[in-house]
Amino acid sequence: MLSYILRRIVATLPVMAIVALFVFSLLYIAPGDPAVVIAGDQASPEDVERIRQSLGLDRPFLVQFGGWVWRILHGDLGTSIFTNLPVSAMIGQRLGPTLSLMIVTLLLTIVVAVPLGVVAAWKAGSLIDRVIMGFAVFGFSLPVFVVGYILAYIFALELEWLPVQGYTPLTQGFWPWLENLILPAIALGCVYIALVARITRAAMLEVLQQDYIRTARAKGLGQGGILFIHALKNAAVPIVTVIGIGIALLIGGAVVTESVFAIPGLGRLTIDAILRRDYPVIQGIVLLFSFVYVLVNLMIDVIYTLVDPRIRY
Amino acid sequence: MALLEVDNLQTHFRTPGGINRAVDGVSFHVNEGETLAIVGESGCGKSVTSMSLMRLIPEPPGRIAGAIRFAGRDLLQLSDREMRAIRGNDISMIFQEPMTSLNPVLTVGRQIRETLMIHQGLDKQAAEAHAVEMLTLVGIPEPKRRVREYPHQLSGGMRQRVMIAIALACNPKLLIADEPTTALDVTIQAQILKLMLDLKRRVGAAIILITHDLGVVAEIAERVMVMYAGRKVEEAPVAELFRSPRHPYTQGLLGAVPRLGSSLTGTARRLAEIPGQVPDLRKPITGCVFAGRCALATDLCRQYAPGLEEKGPRHVAACHYAAKGAVAA
Repeated sequence: MLSYILRRIVATLPVMAIVALFVFSLLYIAPGDPAVVIAGDQASPEDVERIRQSLGLDRPFLVQFGGWVWRILHGDLGTSIFTNLPVSAMIGQRLGPTLSLMIVTLLLTIVVAVPLGVVAAWKAGSLIDRVIMGFAVFGFSLPVFVVGYILAYIFALELEWLPVQGYTPLTQGFWPWLENLILPAIALGCVYIALVARITRAAMLEVLQQDYIRTARAKGLGQGGILFIHALKNAAVPIVTVIGIGIALLIGGAVVTESVFAIPGLGRLTIDAILRRDYPVIQGIVLLFSFVYVLVNLMIDVIYTLVDPRIRY
Repeated sequence: MALLEVDNLQTHFRTPGGINRAVDGVSFHVNEGETLAIVGESGCGKSVTSMSLMRLIPEPPGRIAGAIRFAGRDLLQLSDREMRAIRGNDISMIFQEPMTSLNPVLTVGRQIRETLMIHQGLDKQAAEAHAVEMLTLVGIPEPKRRVREYPHQLSGGMRQRVMIAIALACNPKLLIADEPTTALDVTIQAQILKLMLDLKRRVGAAIILITHDLGVVAEIAERVMVMYAGRKVEEAPVAELFRSPRHPYTQGLLGAVPRLGSSLTGTARRLAEIPGQVPDLRKPITGCVFAGRCALATDLCRQYAPGLEEKGPRHVAACHYAAKGAVAA
């Protein structure tokens, strides 16, 4: 098992290298010259050329790429063209809010979507099932920003139960932290909850037909034990897979959600960096997101072996 | 003393094509410690009967009517909670498919432990120790290691042994075995049957054995009930039934058992078969259910359903002509 995890980590290196190549090519092939952006409107061609040389932009592609990778391996993601701050520091500042938002959304989704899917499958064809699946279709069709503004209007502006926007770090207390994340997490989680609930229902429906469920009933088990232990553990592989894939969904959704709720996270940083053509920052963020995704996939593969003893690597 | 008395059991299913009368007015009893075999071809209602006894029929679309008196209580009148306390404890069940009847993601030990913890109130350690004991009892080598294994690590025969261990863990009064050996190799079949009989003697349980294998019936049953199209057509002690079957359907079943012979010595015989098919249970049947396939059927059979009549000592059959001994076995 440990050797498998190690092998998998080694196997992610080529993936990360290819991602790095793509990310770096962004800077190279994108229209616009960073040197011109930095130099500003008043600069002479000589100034631009000097900046270009100081940044190493005049050297061949592979040399630039090699140097860039070398610096990344040493923890240096470069310096923002716009703020002159190290990219790693800028990402570090913004990581907390985004990570908080994603974790709260992930937990909310699992806690809400899995039981809903289980109940829908258990009561398949009933009114409860139809109501749950109706909500799932609804949640699936609504864009994050629409849900976000509606929630903010009702619960923050009208009822004044929760703050409209902003973010408080966890270090200032659990509730102030959570309070700011509830509405964004619901808005961001809507699509995700719908997806996971549907998959849970489908997987459970299939499992509930199996002979071993009949055996469990014949043993005198209660409905809860049958659904949540005997059935859910068998249905877990597709559910875990979709939860993992959904994390990619969250990364995309976080960018929009952070804008709606004015959360100073990576999403906002990404948008600002793109608008300013701050390539080192864009590269750093994309590289980080790719790394997170690769890591999540590895975690999913490990979780498979925990829920299904027949899966061994 | 009857442990189980089933009175006019009717299990019907609502289907788009009409009401399927899978079991239609079956009555029988099982005495304490007795082995009753229920035989019949696929679709005759024998499995539905056994599932009805445990109330494992999904309702709806199913509906169970009649009375199932077990140790003096009518199971059909019990609440779900009371019924759960009986399942796996007083009445337990072994299924046909050992490959799929065990939960693939839970250890063997956990699946045995569960019934002990629910019904006997044992804690985890005590249940685990008992599980190891049960595995030893059903003849699984290295039980201490096996309790921690998963079903996919065991062979088919071993898995059926585990099913038997689960079924007998709480010393049930009645064991329902639904084709317990059908999916196994012939050599393993004999072992499993012997094991069931040994354990039955030890625990003192009564057995309802559901099968279409008449060889198995001859070997372990004391009484036999023959079902056809959701009804009981004949019932007799096992020796009596094999010696003088009265119902033409039973005779057909016995005739369809392959016998050894060889074309070299001229002793080969073509295997007898019962022509035709089981009637559609979604349509009401007038007259004898077997009339459509019976060589002896007359207008009487097609118009009036025969009742179960005494044809010999403890021997009943539902046939207008059986009493006359019109057909020799």
